[in-house]
Amino acid sequence: MTNETAAGIAAAVAAGRLTAGDAVETALARIAARDPGLNAFTGVTAERARARAAAIDAERAAGRSVGPLAGVPFAVKNLFDVAGLPTRAGSKINRERAPAARDGALVRRLEAAGAVLVGALNMGEYAYDFTGENAHDGPSRNPHDPARMTGGSSGGSGGAVAAGMVPLALGSDTNGSIRVPSAFCGTFGLKPTFGRLSRAGSFPFVGSFDHLGPLARSVADLALSYDAMQGADPDDPWQAPRPIEPVADALVQGTTSLRIAVAGGYFARGGEADCFTAVRLAAEALGAHRTVEIPEAARARAAAFIITAAEAAGLHLDRLRTRPGDYDPAVRDRLIAGTTIPAAWVHRAQRFRSWYRERVLALFDEVDVILAPCTPCRALRISQATMELDGLTVPARPNIGIFTQPISFIGLPVVAVPVRVGGGLPLAVQVIAAPWREDLALRVAGALEAAGVGAAPTAE
Amino acid sequence: MTTPSSLPAPSPPLPIDDVSAGAIVDAMVPLAGIPMAPEWRGTVITAVQATAAAAALLLDFPLDDTVEPAPVFRA
Repeated sequence: MTNETAAGIAAAVAAGRLTAGDAVETALARIAARDPGLNAFTGVTAERARARAAAIDAERAAGRSVGPLAGVPFAVKNLFDVAGLPTRAGSKINRERAPAARDGALVRRLEAAGAVLVGALNMGEYAYDFTGENAHDGPSRNPHDPARMTGGSSGGSGGAVAAGMVPLALGSDTNGSIRVPSAFCGTFGLKPTFGRLSRAGSFPFVGSFDHLGPLARSVADLALSYDAMQGADPDDPWQAPRPIEPVADALVQGTTSLRIAVAGGYFARGGEADCFTAVRLAAEALGAHRTVEIPEAARARAAAFIITAAEAAGLHLDRLRTRPGDYDPAVRDRLIAGTTIPAAWVHRAQRFRSWYRERVLALFDEVDVILAPCTPCRALRISQATMELDGLTVPARPNIGIFTQPISFIGLPVVAVPVRVGGGLPLAVQVIAAPWREDLALRVAGALEAAGVGAAPTAE
Repeated sequence: MTTPSSLPAPSPPLPIDDVSAGAIVDAMVPLAGIPMAPEWRGTVITAVQATAAAAALLLDFPLDDTVEPAPVFRA
């Protein structure tokens, strides 16, 4: 069952071919077998999962509806509240917190749809990370090559899905933290529109940019879980007032009516050649011949960098003052530096964000979907500090996100589609749509999957 | 109001050398009340320089005064 999708499990449970209990036991056995070498999980909620699965099986036996995700094992990045566990957010400090009183909003919604939480997942400390490495819990390891990083900060989410431990995981994405692990681990990932899904019951990083979303091995599973997580939540003051707009049934509509373009300029340089080959393969499969220029993307990344550093420093100020020695050094020193940023720079960055948003949204008058590389490289070696880009040696950590940051900066919905180029480690293409058009991004991702260009086989 | 003849031209925030970045760190980190071990100083300075490089790119781009910050507060 390691290649089984969430949709496949749910269908089998609904039809009585599989019990939720068996689905959960398979996941727990897979975690026990594979996680010691991959370090994706920081906590396995086996007792809770078995009880939940038994309840679902009892419901079905009684003839009651068991939900569209019945029996689907899933796990969440450990910045999501899980009742009974301290929400550690990858940190040493937070694990001393009181256990969460209840699950985060999206955990509750997935379980309301029949899914079964089986554990919490490793992540870069406080989500300020593109590597999936963690000084306290050890690095999450790439299932395609455990000597390599998963990407981060939702590293355990990428690793757990790619290794077939669970068919579905939740992550967060502030500057690329769902899309980067999707690229490095070869999973599909959805970063919805900013403000679409509730962030209640998750530990924040940068309020201006934080998004939550799913990682899975099929586009249908992204859509299924995304639909289950939509809906207004008064506990999240940042959530936008949007109706529930289901997408699962839209995947079959195809892409012939869609105007699809490739991002040129900034998004066509500064990475390894195969990253752009992946985009070209996707464009060819979709019959997309047009190129658009996303204006001032380098400045968008710079502005995202400043806002991130300043907001994160503000969030962590009390802890930096009282317990700086308990941080991961790679995170702490950037947070400390963030406290020195002039307020005028942050204000300017937020004004630039308005300018940039208006210009980029104008592109969507001409096209429906834009394709761009996800990362400038394949998964790097764990602890790799530098990399070569365009003949220059640059620091690895900040540059992994050069193609993701300018997109999340203005909250556009993106599906990361894993693409294999030349048989090496995975890469991914960003399928980017206008705000609130997750349906279009998912339709294009689905077309790439159907064409065999996008695929997320389990790493054995 | 006249501009003093001694006022230097506005300088871009980059390049910011190690000494200048170090002075910023040494002044601002205590202002924030953060105790900093000497061995952290070098990487904090590097991060300040990276932020200044980002700011240089941002501040080099003209914005009309009417462009509002992105976050919108509603009372």
